[in-house]
Amino acid sequence: MWWAALLSSDPARYSALSPTDGTQALALWALQFTPRVALVDEAVVMEVGASLRLFGGARRLAGRVRSEAAPLGVDRIAWAPNSLAALALARAGQPWSAGRLQTLPLASLSAARPHAAALARMGCRTLGALDQLPRPGVARRFGQALLDALDRLFGRAPESHVWITPPERFDARMELMHRVDAAPALLSGARRLLWQMAGWLAARHAGITACTLHWAHDAMRSRGAGEGGQLVLRTAEPTRDVDYLCRLLAEHLDHVQLAAPVGDLRLEAGDTVALPARPASWLPGEAGEGEPLSRALERIAARLGEERVRRPELREDHRPEWMCAWRHALPLDRAAAGVLAPSMHAMPQPGFLRPEPLRLAVRGNRPCYQGELQLLLGPQRLESGWWDGDHTAPAQRLALRDYWLALSEQAGLLWVFQTRLAAEPAWFLHGHFA
Amino acid sequence: MTSSATVFNTLPRSVAAAVWRADQLGTVAHATLSSGFDVLDAALPGGGWPCRGLTELLCSQAGVLEWRLLGPALRAQQAGPQGPLVLVAPPWVPHVPGLRSLGIDERRLVWIDARSSAERVWVVEQLLRAHPVGSVLAWLPDVRAVQLRKLQVLAGQAGVEHGPVFVFRDGPAALDASPVPLRVRVRPGPGLMLQVELLKRPGAPLDRVLTLMAEPPGLAGWLPSPRSASSVILPETADVVGRSAVIRSRTVQRPVAH
Repeated sequence: MWWAALLSSDPARYSALSPTDGTQALALWALQFTPRVALVDEAVVMEVGASLRLFGGARRLAGRVRSEAAPLGVDRIAWAPNSLAALALARAGQPWSAGRLQTLPLASLSAARPHAAALARMGCRTLGALDQLPRPGVARRFGQALLDALDRLFGRAPESHVWITPPERFDARMELMHRVDAAPALLSGARRLLWQMAGWLAARHAGITACTLHWAHDAMRSRGAGEGGQLVLRTAEPTRDVDYLCRLLAEHLDHVQLAAPVGDLRLEAGDTVALPARPASWLPGEAGEGEPLSRALERIAARLGEERVRRPELREDHRPEWMCAWRHALPLDRAAAGVLAPSMHAMPQPGFLRPEPLRLAVRGNRPCYQGELQLLLGPQRLESGWWDGDHTAPAQRLALRDYWLALSEQAGLLWVFQTRLAAEPAWFLHGHFA
Repeated sequence: MTSSATVFNTLPRSVAAAVWRADQLGTVAHATLSSGFDVLDAALPGGGWPCRGLTELLCSQAGVLEWRLLGPALRAQQAGPQGPLVLVAPPWVPHVPGLRSLGIDERRLVWIDARSSAERVWVVEQLLRAHPVGSVLAWLPDVRAVQLRKLQVLAGQAGVEHGPVFVFRDGPAALDASPVPLRVRVRPGPGLMLQVELLKRPGAPLDRVLTLMAEPPGLAGWLPSPRSASSVILPETADVVGRSAVIRSRTVQRPVAH
């Protein structure tokens, strides 16, 4: 049995986290370390004896809890073999050692607090001195409850707790310390909420694929600003990685323009997917250095816009500009391995296509692009697309072309075409073999 | 020379293996990807394009010879169970039927359309942080040396394996200093050939121009005979220094199945 008590020296800092139930939110976060989390008075206690190996030992776990709990407003953490001792040490701000409990002041045990003044008048100022007093007398004068608490504190009697259970849905609210004018500054507040959500997700062994950050405008807003706004964060793969979610959120917040200063934040978890923890390994390389490529692409898509990270989708069309449609690249798992369908194009096709065919100058019946072109191969006749196009300009999508392979001294192999049946035949550059 | 050779031969084997002599080609510890051209492989340290760090390719203009130079290497890499091929800011729209004839699986193709210079560098940086197992082709015409150094540090971290990362820049950038260990200048040669200069490589510099026969693979059955065509337009251009070697790409010698 190894207990931790998490406590804030300034209860107001809890309330910044969540005005209604600060310790509840903290307990939710603590669930990622162990399922045995309970509320005792103003503190959150958790039993981590069974989880020590998982987190790499008591020292490393203590370091991790300390660094991750600090953003949530926790500044006093104590570790001890039972919850009352951990709580008493946390209140006194002292680390655990064998005789330390005897020297703690009476106020660090909740049950002794109402009687502290009376006991002090008797000359009994520490828990150790209280334990030395004759038990029948103490029981008659201060009640059996004090003795029971003392027994539990010194480990002579068992403790019982009501464990916290994670709720079905995550929906946390938080009041910002000060009014925020710029969207990127919301990130520091949102990070606390994300930490909470990570604890909740870890307790449920789940990851999210979507969550929503709502913000409420300040009461002093202008009339046109509205109540607030929201931002939906989506990930391609289920995750509960706070750093990654923060980076993704930062990219999205960069695009947001706030209509009025923001006072309140709310984070709501959307779709959750079961995400079992990966087994730890001693072997190098198995953990996988770096992040997966899909995450990098997601972040890029968040900054540049989804439509600018693309993957191709072939279409059955003979007009080069319609042969391929480009779609959003994410998620990546569409890339199923398998046999590539055979190409339906017998003629050579270029590697690059110009978005708009470039009209070429003609010198002596020969098209010119960075010098006169030498026509190597052709013509490949294309007559397609009469069914396509809107009624206003049906000719635009109808292709009547003779394609030629042309060689340029400077620009390498090119793909040019000559329009047919047009009022004035012209040469166009359409592709680069590169 | 003789004396140094004898001294060299008397060294213990383990020491001799660790000594690099200035007239030798540098050796590399990381994996390489065969370029598909025998001449080029022989001139590249490790026998191919490096899979760690950047490779800088200086072309006279963008969109002229990229696929012809890299096609065989990309085809070999795509044949394995490797990751996607990411194109960052290509000069034109990639044409998938054409890339297919190069042997590139379009299901592994990702096109990132980054427009400003800062965006392009940022995108490549993000990709390198993810240690891409596939290949990255980035067109960075106006990248600065400081940015390139940052990318090179990211790509060259020891103990990290990723696919080859090619950075295309404009030809005049050859005059600027660059932190990239392998710099290659490529020009379209006469006919369907490519003239390749290794401006900088680990080991002794190469003072001749390699001429590679690189024709788009889809063309193999269509053009008259590339051999005769090349023999007609073989005379060396004035700017070729030293002798030039004409070797056809291995992929062309093999009959291409359609």
